Amino acid sequence: MSENEIVVEDPNAPASDSPAVTSTRSVDIAVSVLLLGFAALMAFDNWRTGMGWAADGPQAGYFPFYLSIVLGAASLYGIVTQCINREGAGKAFVSRDQLRRVTQVFVPTLAFCACTQWLGLYVASFLLVSGFMRWVGHIRWWKSLLTGVVFTITMFVTFDLAFDVIMPKGPLEALFGH
Amino acid sequence: MKQSIALKFKHVCMLTIAASAGALTCAAAAADWQPTKPVEIIVAAGAGGASDQMARMMQAAIQKNNLMKQPVVVTLKAGASGGEALLHMKSSAGDPNKVLIAYSLIYMLPLSAKIPFDWRDLTPVSVIALDQFVLWDNTTLPYKNVKEFVAAAKAANPPFKMGGTGSKREDHVLTAFMEKKTGAKFAYLPYKSGGEAATQLVGNHTAANVNNPSENIEVWRAGQVRALCVFDKERISYKAKVTDTQSWNDIPTCKEEGLDLQYLMLRAMFLPGKVTAEQTAFYVDLFKKVTQTAEYKDYMEKQALKPIFLTGADMLKFLESDEALNKSLMTEAGFVAN
Amino acid sequence: MEAFGLLLHGFQVLLTFKILSLMLVGLLLGIFVGVLPGLGGPNGVAILLPLTFTMDPTSAIVMLSCIYWGALFGGAITSILFNIPGEAWSVATTFDGYPMAQQGRAAEALTAAFTSSFIGSLVAVLMITFLAPGIASFALRFGPPEFFAVYLLTFCSFVGLGREDKHKTLISMTLGLLIAGIGMDTVSGQLRMTFGFEELFRGINFLVAVIGLFGISEILLTMEERLALRGHAAKINLRVVWSVWKDLPKYWATLLRSSAIGCWLGITPGGAIAASFMGYNLAKRFSDDKESFGKGRIEGVFAPETAAHASGTAALLPMLALGIPGSGTAAILLGGLMVWGLNPGPLLFVEHKDFVWGLIASMYLGNVVGLVIVLSTVPIFAAVLRVPFAAVAPMIIVSCAVGAYAIQNAMFDIWLMLAFGVVGYVFKKIDIPLAPFTLALVLGNRAEDAFRLSMIGAEGDMRVFWSNGLVGSITTLALILLFWSLIAAGIKKMQGARNGLKHSG
Repeated sequence: MSENEIVVEDPNAPASDSPAVTSTRSVDIAVSVLLLGFAALMAFDNWRTGMGWAADGPQAGYFPFYLSIVLGAASLYGIVTQCINREGAGKAFVSRDQLRRVTQVFVPTLAFCACTQWLGLYVASFLLVSGFMRWVGHIRWWKSLLTGVVFTITMFVTFDLAFDVIMPKGPLEALFGH
Repeated sequence: MKQSIALKFKHVCMLTIAASAGALTCAAAAADWQPTKPVEIIVAAGAGGASDQMARMMQAAIQKNNLMKQPVVVTLKAGASGGEALLHMKSSAGDPNKVLIAYSLIYMLPLSAKIPFDWRDLTPVSVIALDQFVLWDNTTLPYKNVKEFVAAAKAANPPFKMGGTGSKREDHVLTAFMEKKTGAKFAYLPYKSGGEAATQLVGNHTAANVNNPSENIEVWRAGQVRALCVFDKERISYKAKVTDTQSWNDIPTCKEEGLDLQYLMLRAMFLPGKVTAEQTAFYVDLFKKVTQTAEYKDYMEKQALKPIFLTGADMLKFLESDEALNKSLMTEAGFVAN
Repeated sequence: MEAFGLLLHGFQVLLTFKILSLMLVGLLLGIFVGVLPGLGGPNGVAILLPLTFTMDPTSAIVMLSCIYWGALFGGAITSILFNIPGEAWSVATTFDGYPMAQQGRAAEALTAAFTSSFIGSLVAVLMITFLAPGIASFALRFGPPEFFAVYLLTFCSFVGLGREDKHKTLISMTLGLLIAGIGMDTVSGQLRMTFGFEELFRGINFLVAVIGLFGISEILLTMEERLALRGHAAKINLRVVWSVWKDLPKYWATLLRSSAIGCWLGITPGGAIAASFMGYNLAKRFSDDKESFGKGRIEGVFAPETAAHASGTAALLPMLALGIPGSGTAAILLGGLMVWGLNPGPLLFVEHKDFVWGLIASMYLGNVVGLVIVLSTVPIFAAVLRVPFAAVAPMIIVSCAVGAYAIQNAMFDIWLMLAFGVVGYVFKKIDIPLAPFTLALVLGNRAEDAFRLSMIGAEGDMRVFWSNGLVGSITTLALILLFWSLIAAGIKKMQGARNGLKHSG
C-alpha cells in the first residue's frame, strides 16, 4: 500500500452473488397497491369533508379529493403495466445479504426511536452509538463506550445548553434536575 | 387585590417562623413556590408572529431583570392554526413549568374547527395586554376616510377584496361584523400571516385589511398604506410620530368616523389545569412584575398594544364576557362548525 | 450603484466576531458532512438546521449557507479522490476528476474543482447582487393568481421534463401534495385528512419528511453497498495551486459558458444536476479535442463544477424573492426561513435588509474563506473517510432525530421521520423520484391557497389566470411544459413527415 492511497476494507460486505429475497417488480406492484389503498382512504375522507365547488371557489376537500383520484389512477396504471410487462421480473429488489445489512441498521434505529420515547433522547443516543459500534461494527468495548459518552455529552452541551434547543428527556436527566 | 393576598401570605409566614414550628413547610408552600425546571412559554402561532414576539419580549424581560431563577424557553406550537398548542396545554395538566400565551383563538378554534378544547380546562393567570385592530387601505386608492371607503365598498362590483390572517378567525369575524354594520360586501382573502396580508395590500392585490398595528407598522411608516380607523372606544394613547406626519394617536376611532364597531383581542397567560394555588400565585406575581419592566412598556408602545393587567375574579369575568361576544359574532357570521 | 451600497451594508452586518466564527464553524461542519458517505448538501443542511433555531435569522442563514458551501466543496473531495460522487451533480465531476487522481494529478484536479466552484458561485452572486434591488418592486406585482401560475410552472416542468416514468413522477407529486394538505386548511379553517388523530392536526412538516427521505433512507442505502473504498491521498501545495490558476484564462470560454448555464438553470427550476451535465457536455462539444474528455482533462472538471455551483447559488434568488425554491437545499433554507419567522417574498428585501444583504455578502466571503480552508485541509478531511461507518451511521441517525424533533418539539415527528426513511428507501429502489415529492410537500399548501384565493378574488372565474400579461404568459408556459413531451413528439413527427415528403418527392 503506497503512502498515496487511502484504503478502507469492508469484510462483511454483502456478497454480489447473494440470492435475491424479492424482485423489484413485486415490490413495485406491492407499493402501487398500498398507494391505491391510501388514495381510496384519502378520497373517502375528502369526500366527507366536502369536495364540491362552492360559490367562492373549491371547498376544503376539493383538491385533495381529485389528487387522490389522480394518485389512484397513476398507481393503477403502474400495477397494470407491471403485470403486462414482465421485463423487470428478474431484477432483484434486495439480496439476502443486503437485507441482513439493512436490518442491522434499521432495527437499532427503530429501537432508538422507542428508547427516545421512554428514556429520553440522550440516553437512547448513548445506547445507539455504543451498541451499534460494538455489535454491528465489532469495535472494541472501550472505544465504543467512550465514543458513545463523548458524542452524547457533546450533543447535550450543544443543543440543550448552548443553543437552548430542548430535547425529550427521561428519568436519568430528571435525577440531575433537567 | 392580588397584592393583598400575597401580603397576607407573608404575614402567615412570618407568624409561623416566629413560632419556629414549620419554617420549612412555610418556605415550600406560601413563601413562593419556585419552578424547578426551565419554564416553557408555549406560543400558539408561528415564528415572528405577534405572540412569538411577545413571548420573546417576556423571556428577555424575565432574564434581564432576574425575575426568576430558572431560564425561560419559548416553544412554538403553531400547528392547526395554534390548535396544537391548546391541545398540548390541555394534556400537560399538573405541569407548572408551562405557560401558554393565549389570544382569542381559545374561544374561536373550538367553535370553527371542532377542536376539543375549552379554556376552562386551563388555569387562567392574567390578561397582560389587549391588541387593537385598525382598518387600512392602500395609499394609491382615492378613499381618504372611512365614509368614502364604505361608500365605495357598497357600490363596488366585484366586491372589494379584504385581506386577513386565517379563516373564521379575528380578521374574518371583524370583516363579517363590518359587513353587517355597513351593508357592504367584501371578498375576504385568508392569508397565512399578517405579514403576507400586508404585502398583498401594498401590491394592490387587496383593497384593505384589518391588521393589528404591529403587522402593518413597517408599510405604514413607508407610506404605502393608510390607517383609516381603529376599532376601539378610544384612540390609541401613543403620541410619538410613527410616520412623517402621524402618530398612533392620530388615527380616529371607527366610531368617530361613523362606524360604530369595537373589537379588541386579549393577550393572556394560562397555566395547564390542575396546578396548585401557590404555583398560580407565583406566576401571577411574575407577570405582574413583567408588566412593570421597561422591556414590557417599550414593547407595548412599539407594537401599539393597550396595557392592562387582570387576574383572579376580574379575569374570569372578562373571559366569560369576551367569549360570549366572540361566540355570538361567530354564530351570526355562520362560522360555527356543526 | 444602489446594489453596491447595499452590499457594503451587508458586509458591515457580517463583520462581527460572532458571525465570522459561525461562518467558520459552518464551513468546517459543511466540508465534514460533504465528505461523509451517505450525507451531502441538502441532508447536511437539514440535519444541522436545528442548531440555528434559537439564533437570530441573519446568523442562522449565514451559518447554514456556509454549511452548504462547505458540503459542496466536500463533495468534490470524494468525487475526485474516491470516485464517489456525494451528490448527483458531482457525477459529472468524476468523469475527468478521478482519472486525473489516478494519474497522480489529484491535487491539480482538486484545485481545479475548488476554483471553479468559487468562480461559478461568484458569477451567480454577482447576478443576484445586481438583480436583488429590482426584485422587490417586481415581486410586488405577484398576487394570488401570479403565485399560482409560478407554482404551476414549477410542477409542470417536473412532470413534463422529468426523465423518469411519467406515472411515477405523478405518483410522487400527488402523494406529496396530499400529505402537504393534511391538517388545518387555511382557506376554510377546517381540519382535513386527520381522521381525528390529534398528532396530525399540526400537519406533516416538510423538514421532518426531508430528514427521513434523505437522511435515514440514505443510511439504509449506504449500508446495502460494499463500504470498502480505495482512493488517492492528495496534498495541495502552493505550486500546484499557482500552476492551475496560471492556466485559468485559457479556459475562460468554458468557465463563462458553464456559469451562464448554471445561473439560468438555477433560477428556473431545472436544478444543479441538469446544469452540471449540460456544462460538461457543452464543454466537450465545443472542444477541439473531444477524445481527451473522460481521460483526465482539467476542463472536464472546470465545466461541471462551475455550472453546478452557479446554479446552486442562483437558486437562492427565487427562494428569497418569491418563496419558490430552485433546488433541494433552497427548499430546506426556505423551511428554515419560516422557522426563524421570516416570510420569503418581496417584503423581505424591504423589511429585512440586514438578512438579505448579510446573506449575499456571506456568499462572497463564505466562498473565499471556504476556498482557503478547503485548499489547506484536504488531507485531514480525506482522512475522515477512514472513520468506520459503524461509528458514523449511528451519529447521523441521532442527528436526524434531533433535527426532526427540534422542528416542532414533537416525539411523533421522530416516528414520522423513520416512516419517511423507509418510504425513501423503497421509492429510490423502485425508481419513484423523490424530488417532485419534496417539491410538492413544500409548495403544496401554498399552491392550493394561491389557487383558492384567486378563485375567491375572481368569484370563481378561471380566466383570472390569463387576466394580465404576466400571469397569462406564465400559465401558458406552464401548460406548454406540461405537455412538452407530446409537443416535442409532435414536432418531430411533423419534421419526419416533411423529410419523408422530401425524400419521396
